[in-house]
Amino acid sequence: MNFWFSIFRQTGRNLRQTWTTQFMTCLTVSLSVLIFSFFYLIYLNILSAGDKVTDDLRLVVYLDEEPGPEMQEQLRLKISQFDQVQEIKFISREEAYSRFAEQLGDNHDVLTDMPTDFLPASIEVIPLKTLRSLSQIKLFSEYLATLPGSQKVQYGQNWVERFYYFTQLLSIVVLLSGVLLILTATFMVASTIRLTIFARQEELELLKLVGATNNYIRTPFLLEGILQGLIGSLLGLTSLYILFQWITRHFSGAGFLDLFTFTFFPPGIIATIILSSIVLCTAGSYTSMQKFLRI
Amino acid sequence: MTEAAAFQTAMIEIIKVGKSYPPNVTALTDISVSIASGEIFFLIGRSGAGKTTLLKLLCNMEKPTNGLIEVAGMNIHQVTGNKLAKLRQRVGMAYQDFRLLTDRTVAENIAISMEVSYKKPQIIHNRVRNLLAQLQLEDKHDILTGDLSRGEQQRVAIARAVANSPALILVDEPTGNLDATSTEQVMELLIRCRNSGATIVIATHDEALYRHSTHRIMKLHNGRLDSLTRGDGQGRPNTAEATDDTEATDGSDDEI
Ligand SMILES: Nc1ncnc2c1ncn2[C@@H]1O[C@H](COP(=O)(O)OP(=O)(O)OP(=O)(O)O)[C@@H](O)[C@H]1O
Ligand SMILES: [Mg+2]
Repeated sequence: MNFWFSIFRQTGRNLRQTWTTQFMTCLTVSLSVLIFSFFYLIYLNILSAGDKVTDDLRLVVYLDEEPGPEMQEQLRLKISQFDQVQEIKFISREEAYSRFAEQLGDNHDVLTDMPTDFLPASIEVIPLKTLRSLSQIKLFSEYLATLPGSQKVQYGQNWVERFYYFTQLLSIVVLLSGVLLILTATFMVASTIRLTIFARQEELELLKLVGATNNYIRTPFLLEGILQGLIGSLLGLTSLYILFQWITRHFSGAGFLDLFTFTFFPPGIIATIILSSIVLCTAGSYTSMQKFLRI
Repeated sequence: MTEAAAFQTAMIEIIKVGKSYPPNVTALTDISVSIASGEIFFLIGRSGAGKTTLLKLLCNMEKPTNGLIEVAGMNIHQVTGNKLAKLRQRVGMAYQDFRLLTDRTVAENIAISMEVSYKKPQIIHNRVRNLLAQLQLEDKHDILTGDLSRGEQQRVAIARAVANSPALILVDEPTGNLDATSTEQVMELLIRCRNSGATIVIATHDEALYRHSTHRIMKLHNGRLDSLTRGDGQGRPNTAEATDDTEATDGSDDEI
């Protein structure tokens, strides 16, 4: 009881005495939280968009000629020999034609002069949900190309590949900004606390001489670290949320954001970001304190 | 404290202690003395004799270069961590240079030594009022110590040293800036502390403090023990009241 009374008063004194440095540190922490969580938010959204896209992933094997029923059975067998698949669909020339006409909608009269069998027959293979990585898809498509009568295999190679590399790049950016967050939070807080210690050297020395325990001296500074982490991360996340609101309001309906719904962090991730920011700041203040207390 | 109890236990044992500062200043050489619990002990000597150095060794601000110092049966220079903190809470020192926090009020400065041992705010408040009244500084309660006169600062430093009722009180040059009346008040305060069980070591130039007392007086000269005598016990009323514990001690004028 008296311990915490003293500690809180001490912390209040610290903050009053060095509030400009404290404020700058808080801003730095919140800025790095903002940068990190900005990229992380984009990353998470892209990933979930990617999930949706790959839900629609299908490999289309174009065939030389229309397979008969036994041939179909054989092909089915061969495909499932490589890997289990969710679905295999044979599409005849006529089906392809009518699908195409449907896609054209009102413009389907351009097809009137075309023979109904000008499109090749094909097999649509929908892989299992577990088949996700680019290399697996590639392997599978290479296998499909070796099927008898196969002309060409398509799965939007370019697009899938680009998407894959984009998410890779993004994950590196997220990682780097995460490192940035760790470094700034820890070092900024460590150096602020060092400055505070320096500014109050005389008092801290005296406290030691009159018999203050290490905890008595250390706890206010740890509390400061916790406050820095908490306020800094709250500020950063709040500004990200405002930014997020602004973006969704201004870009909704326009182009690519329609492809997927842009969502904010779930509570679990928000809590994790705040918590780790607190832990980092406290660690920063702790290291500074240990250096002082050892002297 | 009865005389018998007082001298059964030595509060301080200083055994062949030497202290030299880098690069090669020898501040103390081969000091041995035993100070009893409840004793008032004077430390005198010319400037630079090593008085402050000896007090700093006693409160564990400095470590001796050689020799051994025991306070309350503990080798204080081997104690670390929370034990050291606890030990220091039981030793109050009024520094020659005061070491007041000049941007804090008188009350806050005195309270520090009690806050670190988690005394209740109400108790701290009362104790501060009480000490300020004894030193006639009641009106300075909320003044920043930086704004006080030297003599007032000196008394605040002493009040802080005794506030937590420590078992050992070390006072360095307590009356350097004080007039006779204030000096008297300070001595009365210290004697009251002694009467409630504290051991007190006073380093001073002020002959008036010890000349007529009956306490033991150790004179240092160039860091060496020059003489260990006992005051003749004449004249000063405020120390006369303290004579009850000092007679028949350890043969007084001997060199231990
Ligand atoms: N930190 C230090 N570094 C080097 N030398 C020191 C240090 N502290 C004290 N000394 C030296 O040790 C000797 C004893 O100093 P000390 O302060 O103990 O004297 P003192 O008896 O208290 O003097 P005064 O009456 O002037 O206060 C002096 O020669 C002083 O110069
Ligand atoms: Mg001195």
